[in-house]
Formats: sequence, structure tokens, C-alpha cells
Amino acid sequence: MSPDDFFRINTGSTEPIYRQLVEQVRRRVAGGQLTAGQELPSVRELAQALAVHPMTISKAYSLLEAEGLLERRRGLAMRVAPQFSRAQSSASRVELLRPTLGRAAAEARQLELPTAKVLQLFEQILNEGAAE
Amino acid sequence: MSAVITTSSPASHPAPDLALPSPSAVLRDLQLNYGSQPVLMGLNWQLLPGQVVGLLGRNGAGKTSLLEALLGLRETQAGSVHLFGQPVAQLDDACRARIGYVPQQSDLFDGFTANQLLAYFRSFYPRWNEAKVEGLMARWDIPRDKPIAKLSGGQQQRLSIIRALAHEPDLLVLDEPVASLDPAGRRDFLRELVEQVLDRGTTVVFSTHILSDLERVAFNVAFMAEGRIALQAPLDELIDEVRALSGPTAALQGLIASDGLKVLSRRPLESGRERCLVRSVQGMSGLPPSVLSEALNLEDLFMELT
Repeated sequence: MSPDDFFRINTGSTEPIYRQLVEQVRRRVAGGQLTAGQELPSVRELAQALAVHPMTISKAYSLLEAEGLLERRRGLAMRVAPQFSRAQSSASRVELLRPTLGRAAAEARQLELPTAKVLQLFEQILNEGAAE
Repeated sequence: MSAVITTSSPASHPAPDLALPSPSAVLRDLQLNYGSQPVLMGLNWQLLPGQVVGLLGRNGAGKTSLLEALLGLRETQAGSVHLFGQPVAQLDDACRARIGYVPQQSDLFDGFTANQLLAYFRSFYPRWNEAKVEGLMARWDIPRDKPIAKLSGGQQQRLSIIRALAHEPDLLVLDEPVASLDPAGRRDFLRELVEQVLDRGTTVVFSTHILSDLERVAFNVAFMAEGRIALQAPLDELIDEVRALSGPTAALQGLIASDGLKVLSRRPLESGRERCLVRSVQGMSGLPPSVLSEALNLEDLFMELT
């Protein structure tokens, strides 16, 4: 797995880089793109590929380990924990979108937009992504 | 020419440090005036081994003066600077050899070629990583036999970076090191910095206005304002913990008192309202409906804290 294909960093975000990494791993495990036993790039590889301070990567990996998503093995790469053998149900996957959509909803209310208009835009954006 | 390269005798390595890492740099109550104009006003600062600290401040805030004072290149009116435990004015050769500096203004010898320049500097240092120099010269495409004056701004800046990395410094001071580099060149430079940290635990301090670069590699950020380091902290903690609250002054003050929030800045708004920048380690209890809380990114923090 090439680290810079796999992880995307947005600078200028109100989400710190370590949390961006944590969320990306969570989503990929939930979606089944990362499954049990699969290895993640080492701290060194990822720090170099993303040009990010190694402590930022370690912090993300430690949080994912504490959460039980990743397993650390002495001298070996971090890997996805064995219980994540397949994608979660769509019901629990969709819950991962709640924080992001919650923020979008708050902004939509500030803009005083009607629900239908907002949903229409979201649908359009989803379809654009699928067409790529 | 900068003071950090004036070592001429072969230097031995200092004795290994004690178990506790001692700071690479300690600045105490530093006062620097230009004529009657104060630039550094009782500034205190500390850099620990392996830290990568991004120095942020507005134009004219004194970042370059601070970095020069840190390196002993500016005579200060009061206060002290210690590098690796030694007063900066009396650094021995071994200590000098542990410092690398990329100044804002190129101080390379214009009449030299890159090859001549590097050969000249190599003679000063007990340690010199020829493989790294060769690798970077090739990767960064720097003409070796052209006079430095004929190189582009970006090439000169890259050469200045190579010179500063060649002797594998333990403390690397970079003043706007990427101003002339394109985005690809900047990314490559950041990778090089990350490698220094991974391989050698180098202490790095650098100033830049390119916040996206800083955000990637600077685990710590230091905000300079009014001649002091107003705040230094890990950047991700600041993004997690700092919020801009706006609302009626009474409601804000109540919240600040009840949640024990640390106030970083305050600005009055119209009709009895204000905007407060607060930091909360524990997180906040429920917000009163009259108070709006906003998360901040690095640029917002820069605007608010410098």
C-alpha cells in the first residue's frame, strides 16, 4: 500500500492532522477497505511520504491502538485487529458520517436553506464522486 | 559570514548528556533594541531536543532578530542565551559545529561555485555527510560549477539548506527557508526535515509564512507578539483545545469562570458583546444558548495570537 495514496492530509483544517489520520483509518476499516491482519505503513514511511512530523503519526497510531482497531507487534508493522474481518453494516457505517453532516446541517441552518435544497446538493455531490 | 561556522580547529565531540535531555537552547529575559525601538522585550524561550518548532509572527514582529539573537549574531541589551548549556558568546568549537543555520538573506559567497563553497565549509567541520550532500545536490539539481551569483533564488536557497544540513547539526535554525521554493521543492525540503528528525532527533526551529508547511512538520508552534513568545504549544493541542467564543460579556465571563477556561485574548464587539479566545484542556460543559463557539485552524490562530 502506497502511503500517500492511502492517506490524505488537509492543511488549514480545524481538524488536526492526527485526527484526520485516525478518522481515515476508522472509515476504511468500517468500509472494509482495510481488513483484519492488513499492515499499515510504519511511522517512518508515513512521516516521510506525507512530510509530517513522526510524532503526529505515532499519536494517531496510538489512539487507534487504544481503540482496539490496530494491533502493535514488537518490531513489526501495525496491523488491523483480527475482529475486523469484514465491513461493518451500512447502519453503523452511516453513523460515522454523523459528525460531518452535523456540521453541514448547522451551516445550512445558518444559511437558512430549505431541507430539499440541501439534500439536492448532497445528492449531486455524491453522484459527482461516483462518476469519477 | 555567520558566527556558527568560524570554528577552525578540529573539534572533539562533547561528553554524552545525562539521562534527562537538557534543552538545546535557553533564552532568558532577552532584551533587544534597535536605537530606541524595542524588538525583544524580556523574551523567554526554550527549545528541547528533537522538537520541531514553527515560529510565527507578523511582518516586523522580530522573528529574524530573535533567531539571530539565538545564534549570538546580535548583541542584546539584557538577558542571556545558552546553546547546549554554553553562553552563546563563548561557544566552543564543538558546540558551534552542532549548529546549522539557513538565513533569510543568502550569505553564500557569490563568486564561489557550489563545489568550491561546499569544499570550503567541509574544512571547518569535524563531521560532514558527503553522501547526503551528493544526494541532495543531484536531487535538487544544483549546478556545481556555475558561480553562485548566477544561480536562481530557489537554487541558492537549496544550496544554503544543503550547507546547513551537511555537518549533521543537532540544532537547525531556518529563517524563511522555503520562500523561493515552488510547492514541489517545499515538499521535498519538508521530507528532508522529517528525515533529520527521524534519523538524528535534530532540534529544529523555523520561521515561515507558509502555514501549510508549518502545519505538517512543526509539532510545536510558537507565536511571537509584542517582543515575546506569547504562546508555545503542540499545534494539534491548540486546534483541539482553543475555541473562539462570542456572546454577551456576562454570559462569557460566567462560562470562563465555571469551566476554568484560560483566556488567550479578548476583543469587545458591539452592544455589550465580546469575542474571547479560550483554551480548555477538559473541554467545555454545555454552552449557554447566547454563546457561539467556533473551532479555529492554524491561520485563525495566527490572526488571533500574533
